Amino acid sequence: MKKLLFLAVKDMRVLLSDKGNIFWVFGFPVLFALFFGFMYSEAGKGPSGMKIAVVDEDKSEFSSSYISGLESDEALIVVNLNREEAIEQVRKGKVSAAVILNEGFGDGFEALFNSDEPKLEIASDPSRRMESGYLQGLLAKAQFEALGDKFADQEWLRGQIKLWRDEVGGSNALETEQSKLFLNFFDSFDTLIKDSNDGSFSAGFKGDMINFGKLDVSREYEGPISPFQITFPQVLLWGFLMCTSTFAISIVKERTDGTFDRLRIGPLGYAHILGGKGLACFITCIFIVCILFFGAKVIFKMPMGNFPLFFLGLFCTILCFVGLMMFVCTLGRTEQSVGAAGWAMLMIMGMFGGAMMPLAFMPSWLRRFSHFSPVKWGILALEGAIWRDFKFTEMISPCLVLLAIGFTFFLLGVLMLRRQDS
Amino acid sequence: MIKADNLKKRYGNIAAVDDVSFAVEKGETFGLLGPNGAGKTTTIQLLCGLLKPDGGTVSLDGKTDPSLVEVRSSLGVVPQALAIYEELSVRQNLRFFGRMYGLSGRQLNERVDDCLEIAGLNKRSNDRASKYSGGMKRRLNMVCSFLHAPPLLLLDEPTVGVDPQSRNLIFDTIETMKNQGRTIIYTTHYMEEAQRLCDRVAILDHGKILDMDSVDNLIKKHGGPSRIEAEFEKLPSPDSIKQYIDSENIQFEESKIRFETSRPMESLAMLNRSGVRFNTLKVQTANLEDVFLNLTGRRLRD
Ligand SMILES: Nc1ncnc2c1ncn2[C@@H]1O[C@H](COP(=O)(O)OP(=O)(O)OP(=O)(O)O)[C@@H](O)[C@H]1O
Ligand SMILES: [Mg+2]
Repeated sequence: MKKLLFLAVKDMRVLLSDKGNIFWVFGFPVLFALFFGFMYSEAGKGPSGMKIAVVDEDKSEFSSSYISGLESDEALIVVNLNREEAIEQVRKGKVSAAVILNEGFGDGFEALFNSDEPKLEIASDPSRRMESGYLQGLLAKAQFEALGDKFADQEWLRGQIKLWRDEVGGSNALETEQSKLFLNFFDSFDTLIKDSNDGSFSAGFKGDMINFGKLDVSREYEGPISPFQITFPQVLLWGFLMCTSTFAISIVKERTDGTFDRLRIGPLGYAHILGGKGLACFITCIFIVCILFFGAKVIFKMPMGNFPLFFLGLFCTILCFVGLMMFVCTLGRTEQSVGAAGWAMLMIMGMFGGAMMPLAFMPSWLRRFSHFSPVKWGILALEGAIWRDFKFTEMISPCLVLLAIGFTFFLLGVLMLRRQDS
Repeated sequence: MIKADNLKKRYGNIAAVDDVSFAVEKGETFGLLGPNGAGKTTTIQLLCGLLKPDGGTVSLDGKTDPSLVEVRSSLGVVPQALAIYEELSVRQNLRFFGRMYGLSGRQLNERVDDCLEIAGLNKRSNDRASKYSGGMKRRLNMVCSFLHAPPLLLLDEPTVGVDPQSRNLIFDTIETMKNQGRTIIYTTHYMEEAQRLCDRVAILDHGKILDMDSVDNLIKKHGGPSRIEAEFEKLPSPDSIKQYIDSENIQFEESKIRFETSRPMESLAMLNRSGVRFNTLKVQTANLEDVFLNLTGRRLRD
């Protein structure tokens, strides 16, 4: 056992003696974390600080409460102008869009949606379609908030939701991403209304409406509170992939350098030598976790769901990748060939497993392949603990899959190594 | 101590080791002399259990499976190719291999210091091995196998690509090991090395042992005659010379004679007693190179 530890220490020393290795194993995942973390956090917020002009031609109590709703939205910077000025500003690109509340806007909800003459107009720059799509969402949200009263009528409400769904679904001003967001929102809203038909909410949502609207919109990704909760498992998996390929290459290097044979001649068995590598890989993975976790926690204040389950998920994931390392190192005879073959294999696993793009963003046919990637199961186990609120029983299946994959690859690898050596 | 019986190993069509048998006694230094591709490395790998023979057995102190850890632990193998961690310092290398042999604490420190001393590397022991010269790396490669003070050493061409200074240091080390009573198997394709270090030498070619004996006996058996060239102050008459010299073929050339004989010392002593005065004398006795040439029709190094 002591020898195993010394073997591992030696491997880590060798690893750390190379600046390139340090970068790929530790630095790269951190950069990756930062890059995607910020990217998703932007996507989650939508374009922030979008400047819009508002033209209030209705001048009713309702329209001014509607406008103050818009003004309170962090995503918007609202300026009040008259119609000509507002359109001029849009044309010049000074504001992203102009929202014009026509006379009669405050007459009520039905007037807003059902009259032939639109009571609300959006003037936007065609080159900024994405922003205008986003704006439509925000406007709808503001309408929900301002029209709380109407929500007492469930039947009417569900009818409206269907209408909006069609509208959003048919709108090509909305990016798929955003329209999905709203469709999801509508779905959950609809379900809620349906559920409330059992009587406990017979009074509808009056009063609670505003709270409800805000709550659901802020949970648009159905779970994670911070975008770093999405990227954290991905980045860990990248770190593990890097670690796996680095140590697989180091096994081949020892074989070509003859140190592997020297150890074999020494009083060490095969199991010892490979065990030492596995341990070194394991410890390095733990280091990666520590570094990234520290960063995620301290710098990005990432909340953590369930610590014990997180450790369980980590343990199984890392074991799986240690097993994988043993297999990858048999993919070639030289460092170059193992480097290339290993990288290709791990890249594909990473891609299909959702380490590049969250699985939720993948087309469904692609998602089907992900079952074959240990990366997917690793991410699932980690997400389960971090934000999916998995119970222990729900953790069991991804963990078992991980252990089984790891064990299979480990066995395959050891068998192939022995065959190559005889 | 170590015994090989009818060892065989094939690589495809090549018989790398072909029916090799020998036995090395305790305290003996045994040489395997052969050109590139003769099968020296393969033989060493069979002896230490890195390779499984296609036929035949190896026995180490009576135990026949060198791939077992207990059997191997009495072995110190110096591989032909460098097998060290270039990323680690010389001391770290030694400490690591020492630990793998179960050394620890003071014993480990002492052995590491001894080995650094032996290899003449104690001055820069904290430098990375990659910064060392080829010869220094070779010395490190060698002493990495001495850490556990094994009674049996297998050295596979430890002097390949080494400058004369490093080579002498390596020779001295091996001679020290020899004097300590260790058993040594030494492979080389330099006949001078075999001649200097080995009690017995096996001539290996194409995986076969052609003959095996002490160096003197091999030369006697296969070396052929010595070549002598003598220059005299005044050349005596050919007939008188033929009286003293045991040789069929004597060449005369001005004041010089050249001849070949299997008994060089006796011939020269006779000449000397006859009263002739030598200006110069060159005696070229047969060596292992001649032995190899006579056994195979080829030179050791082509
Ligand atoms: N792994 C291998 N695969 C195929 N052939 C091999 C292998 N190892 C050795 N051989 C062949 O076996 C023969 C003996 O090789 P070996 O390495 O034992 O020679 P050697 O005497 O050590 O030569 P050198 O002085 O060059 O080190 C050679 O013909 C070589 O080509
Ligand atoms: Mg060799």
